[in-house]
Amino acid sequence: MLLQLKDIHTSFTNSRNETFDLLRGVSLDIEEGSITALMGGNGSGKTTLFNIISGFHKNYSGSVIFDGHNLKRLPPHAIASLGIGRLFQGGQLIPGLTLLENLQLGAPDTNDNRPLSSLLKPHQTREADLQKKNKAIESLIQLFGEGNKYLDKLYDDGSSFSYGAQRLLSLARLMIGDHKLLLLDEPTSGVNQQFFDTIKSIITQIASTGKTIFFIEHNTKFIRDIADSCAILSDGIITEHCPTDNIAWDVAKPLSYNTLIKQLFHEQS
Amino acid sequence: MLYIAHILIILNIYIILVQAANLTIGMSNLLTLCQAAFYGIGAYLGTLFLNQFNISFLAIAAIVMTATGVTSLIISFASIRLKGDFFIFATLAFQMIVFTILNNWTTVTGGPNGISGIPSIKIFGLIQLKGIYPHLIFSYVVAAATILLMRNIIRSPFGRTMRAIRTDEIAVVATGRNASMYKTWAFFISAALSGVAGILYASYIPYIDPSNFTLDESIFILSALFIGGIGNIKGPLLGAVFVVVIPELLRFVGLPTDIAADLRQIIYGLSLIIVMFCRPQGIAGVLQPSNR
Ligand SMILES: Nc1ncnc2c1ncn2[C@@H]1O[C@H](COP(=O)(O)OP(=O)(O)O)[C@@H](O)[C@H]1O
Ligand SMILES: [Mg+2]
Repeated sequence: MLLQLKDIHTSFTNSRNETFDLLRGVSLDIEEGSITALMGGNGSGKTTLFNIISGFHKNYSGSVIFDGHNLKRLPPHAIASLGIGRLFQGGQLIPGLTLLENLQLGAPDTNDNRPLSSLLKPHQTREADLQKKNKAIESLIQLFGEGNKYLDKLYDDGSSFSYGAQRLLSLARLMIGDHKLLLLDEPTSGVNQQFFDTIKSIITQIASTGKTIFFIEHNTKFIRDIADSCAILSDGIITEHCPTDNIAWDVAKPLSYNTLIKQLFHEQS
Repeated sequence: MLYIAHILIILNIYIILVQAANLTIGMSNLLTLCQAAFYGIGAYLGTLFLNQFNISFLAIAAIVMTATGVTSLIISFASIRLKGDFFIFATLAFQMIVFTILNNWTTVTGGPNGISGIPSIKIFGLIQLKGIYPHLIFSYVVAAATILLMRNIIRSPFGRTMRAIRTDEIAVVATGRNASMYKTWAFFISAALSGVAGILYASYIPYIDPSNFTLDESIFILSALFIGGIGNIKGPLLGAVFVVVIPELLRFVGLPTDIAADLRQIIYGLSLIIVMFCRPQGIAGVLQPSNR
């Protein structure tokens, strides 16, 4: 098991100073190499669950075990370094950095956090950085083909790309790092059909390299096409977690979230 | 000519200080109020070594940079690794403490009377800088070295990550980078450079007292940075020119000195407001100060 969530509880205080329990005992196992979708209504706590795994939200009980490590006491950057990549909800490229710089940021932190050593060993630093650049270009070619348009825009500012393109390129950035697990928060939300299909193929490509994918998604067609299993977060717990094959997807029209829930409950009972 | 040379030396010292300020405020979003404290530590510690030992500038600079850098680490750790407003208050407290020590530890610092007759620095083979022109050339060399260092930092992978942290710290942390480590280093280098500016000042003037290293001075350096612009090399450069040269021009208008001093404050204040209003990234900067 790559990731094990055990009995996770967390609560928040709302604007009226009332405490509410958002997660009330979430337990879920994610198998290595699998693609798992997480569904749930708006505000059901999906993003919060990702923040707990990534270490940005520490005020919880229960345990998160990743690859044999208990993540509770690790800071977020250390958790990421264990091999957990993250696509944030609505997350975009970083403005003020070029596309290439954005992609280079996706490569693991070699010694660039030690400015003195990078100033004292400029040659080594340049070599390491060149490798990151090559890796970035390689991934762009792998994802979008030889001579694709992004290769001509390596030095354009991250913010000059369309929203959909920035989502794609943010995914490309995750490809450069050596992650074991990718947490994708609504990868397709807000993008048009053309990007939708590309994002689907990118995620499939990333998964084929052996990375485990755990993603939040509302679009049932998307889930049916790429996920091995689907988990439902409702009322603070995982009410369902079953292989997507077991769901009688209606191919003609995408299932609404409610229909899906009904169907799942129906099949289980 | 001597007068112009004097202005240029002061300008070079401020170029170092404002470039150093840019590293914390411009690059890492850390608002520091203790730039003058590090400047002062550099000046006093430098003076101590210039007075007591026959060693070259490079040796003194190494000692001062280590001392100011390590001191910055104490502030970094005390403010829970540079978290939010704690950091601003920690730097404010530090600025006050340093000033109080300089003002009251009379046996070492001379208290409010300061220290005078500081020997000038010695460079290779212990050749002492004599007269204003050698000081001018030397201050140029140090300012140029600072600019070169800053340019390398901004272009390096370290600088790239700093720029990214400045706009989206969480996204950077999620790539496995320890943002506080980066900020700690930026603050370290900034403190060390300010210390070097202090040695130059003490050796050139050659008289120091605590009034040179007050909170006002820290704020003055900040104003220069904000007027010039943050996030690149040009901004701080222009800011330093602005705050050092403008008051000298006022002198030529022939105002009585006390009025000129007040007028100078008004001009700085007004320029700051006008710049913030019309061009928030500063005259030549690339980044806007964060509103956080
Ligand atoms: N830092 C926070 N402080 C207070 N409430 C929060 C915080 N983060 C999330 N919440 C609350 O938790 C609920 C779930 O948020 P979220 O996890 O983003 O939901 P989802 O991603 O499933 O739409 C929201 O109703 C929100 O009000
Ligand atoms: Mg969400």
